[in-house]
Amino acid sequence: MPHIELEGRRIEVNEEGFLVHPEEWTEETARLLAKAEEGLEELTAEHWAVVKFIRDYYVEKNLAPMVRKMCQATGFPLMKIYDLFPSGPAKGACKVAGLPKPDGCV
Amino acid sequence: MKREKPSSSGVVDSPLDARTQVKAREDGLPSVAEGRLRTYEPGDNRGRFLDLLAKRISRPLAVSMTACVHCGLCAESCHYFLARPDDPTMTPVWKADQIRKIFKRHVDWTGRIAPWWVKAGSVDGDEDLNRLKNIVFGTCSACRRCTYNCPMGVDTGLLVRFTRGLLTELGIVPEGVFNVSRDQWETGNQMAVTEEDYLETLVWMRDELRTELGTDDVDIPVDKPDCDVLYTINPREIKFDPRSIAHAAKIFHLAGESWTMPKWGWDQTNFGLFSGDDRLGAYVARNVYEAAERLRAKKIVISECGHGYRSTRWEGYTWAGYDQTRPTESVVVTVKRYLEEGRISVDPSRNTEPVTFHDSCNIARSGDLVEEPREVLQRVCADFREMFPNRRENFCCTGGGGLLSMAEYRPLRLEVGKIKADQLRATGARLVCTMCHNCVDGLNDVIKHYKLALRVVQVLELVSNALVLPASGERTKQSS
Amino acid sequence: MSDFLKILENEVQLAALAFLALVYTVRLGWIFRFKTRRDRTAAVGNERAGAGYSLMNVAMPWAMESTRKRPGFYAQFVVFHIGVAAAIAGTLIIPYAPGLFEIRPVVILFQAVVAAAFVVGLVRLVRRLTNPVLRRISSPDDYFSLVLLIVWFAAAVAALPNRPEKGEWPLIGYFGLTAFFLIYVPFSKICHYLYYPFTRFYLGRSLGHRGALPPKGTKGRKTRRAGEDAA
Ligand code: SF4
Ligand code: SF4
Ligand code: SF4
Repeated sequence: MPHIELEGRRIEVNEEGFLVHPEEWTEETARLLAKAEEGLEELTAEHWAVVKFIRDYYVEKNLAPMVRKMCQATGFPLMKIYDLFPSGPAKGACKVAGLPKPDGCV
Repeated sequence: MKREKPSSSGVVDSPLDARTQVKAREDGLPSVAEGRLRTYEPGDNRGRFLDLLAKRISRPLAVSMTACVHCGLCAESCHYFLARPDDPTMTPVWKADQIRKIFKRHVDWTGRIAPWWVKAGSVDGDEDLNRLKNIVFGTCSACRRCTYNCPMGVDTGLLVRFTRGLLTELGIVPEGVFNVSRDQWETGNQMAVTEEDYLETLVWMRDELRTELGTDDVDIPVDKPDCDVLYTINPREIKFDPRSIAHAAKIFHLAGESWTMPKWGWDQTNFGLFSGDDRLGAYVARNVYEAAERLRAKKIVISECGHGYRSTRWEGYTWAGYDQTRPTESVVVTVKRYLEEGRISVDPSRNTEPVTFHDSCNIARSGDLVEEPREVLQRVCADFREMFPNRRENFCCTGGGGLLSMAEYRPLRLEVGKIKADQLRATGARLVCTMCHNCVDGLNDVIKHYKLALRVVQVLELVSNALVLPASGERTKQSS
Repeated sequence: MSDFLKILENEVQLAALAFLALVYTVRLGWIFRFKTRRDRTAAVGNERAGAGYSLMNVAMPWAMESTRKRPGFYAQFVVFHIGVAAAIAGTLIIPYAPGLFEIRPVVILFQAVVAAAFVVGLVRLVRRLTNPVLRRISSPDDYFSLVLLIVWFAAAVAALPNRPEKGEWPLIGYFGLTAFFLIYVPFSKICHYLYYPFTRFYLGRSLGHRGALPPKGTKGRKTRRAGEDAA
């Protein structure tokens, strides 16, 4: 099973780098995922705004939010999301927020 | 019967994960309850599999089963084998033989008389069917490159799809295939986008476009009757990347097109193509055709999507038993016409980075569009360069056949992506353009894995960049 | 000439041929039992052009990357199949037009062609035995059919001069093998040529309908890069 290491802790991720156990997500995990998967050395307040919104939405609805909802909630224009997360909303932002792999051809 | 030694790729041993299938049954989803979406039930699947095989096989497929002479010429056409040249199980012929031997044993006569003589073989039970699942879903992107390279005209790509269809009927499918099929059966689109989200995203894109163009003249009409164009899209555009919708709307607006999007029947993608399920294929395609009928649209236009184009333009009518009555085209063809007719004007110097073009298998090998996208690119880009091989000989992005939705096969997919990576690198381009959303993701995976300095773009994005806006008020054509 | 050889060259051959024809008829009937589906889309290309192009594939080594990159493979294919045609022709010429084989250059030509096919057969056999991919996919029938043809080619080379007075064994071998061959063919991979028109027709028709075949304008030319063949 692929995994990433964090201060001695093993975090299991699937073949695409998505968390195997999305419920085990913490802010530390987010930092680590951002570094390992998105090459982001640190998460700024803007990153956190997106990540936290996605996380809360997911915890509440068990669903990844549409990118429109991310923009609405954070007030960022669409392009900003792509600037913040190079892999885009699905494979970038949702992954860092510890969501499971979205279904469909993405 | 002696069992063949397993493939060395490891993929073949992926277990069957039916948890979401069980859940779908327990939740009593209508598609399951009504028997449209099949779920896995342990038991005598072998018998059902053999019955289905005998019942469903068509003449073109039956001759593809019998005609192979085991010459091995197809091996080097497949990116799986090219990337793993020491692994015979990656060759198209070996993969096809895994279904072929069952056909020979149970449908053909040679295998019934002396099975071992022609390597005919049966399936023992669900374990064997699961292995077959891993072979046809996990080691082939159904790209049909081998089909074009077989001297006998054996259509291995189609045999793979056929076999997938039999397994789908038994629920012996990768979890991702089940999930996406479920969503498309249940919601009419493969990403379970709700109508509310769909409509709100369109409004959002319209507003962004109004800001960009500084006019309230622009619209993204929904369910407007009697338009010339019914525009249908990929749900990925709504859910994660709606920029392409804005690009299309901008182009339609500037061209003065009379167009609309449907409230229902807007998903032109079709997971039935990948799962091999013609009934799902028929259902989804019919939604689109009926939307056009209902709105009396003159023409169906399909956004940039390889399998969506193949499904909606080519396979869907046959699956749905629906005679084609109206032109159905890719938006790239529409844009090409606008350029030729001077309905939009472009400035290629706005796209200066070197661009190469990736032909989508479903469009170039199973469809008709090869020169059209190139003609558009040559008009909107300053530096267009071919990738080799290209056109109908191009290599798959590695994400075809629905593989992007099957995480368990990803390591192998990325490994064989080496072929695509080498091909991309050799172009020296900075942008790789493709007219398929699926390829975008497949190519992105390859680029990231092999650390290539490339960005994936689509035709509409480049066209949209290059658009020369008329000074305000100058447009004469009616906008709608 | 002994009566045995006479019967072998005539009645036995005809009986074997009749058997072959019968099995083929049954086989064709079997193929037609499978259904086809009508394409309900409006065509972009031309079904007949596509099917024609596809059927002509056998004579167009440039049409496929696989044969373009391996001209040697294609040359072997040609030699092998011309050899088959010559060896079959021999079995008809000897009993029905023996005069032809009294012309020495003709005999030598036939022998050369069949001998070349014999050599290719050996090369193919070695390839099938040593190439890991081919070994993995080959069935006993694949090996047996190839060996059968190799032996048959050898017998043909020996028998083509048609000199029963110098010993009947070459002819008995040749015709005996031919009879066996005719009976075995319908049950083996050798009858692939019966399927070729079908696979090619259906593939070409469907891709022709879509306008994917024949390739537009470029005839595949632009898809090649200088030096590709060296790769
Ligand atoms: S090229 Fe065709 S005939 Fe030869 S092994 Fe492959 S599928 Fe079979
Ligand atoms: S369809 Fe494509 S991926 Fe599948 S075996 Fe053929 S060449 Fe390989
Ligand atoms: S994703 Fe693209 S390249 Fe890959 S199979 Fe589909 S159309 Fe082909």
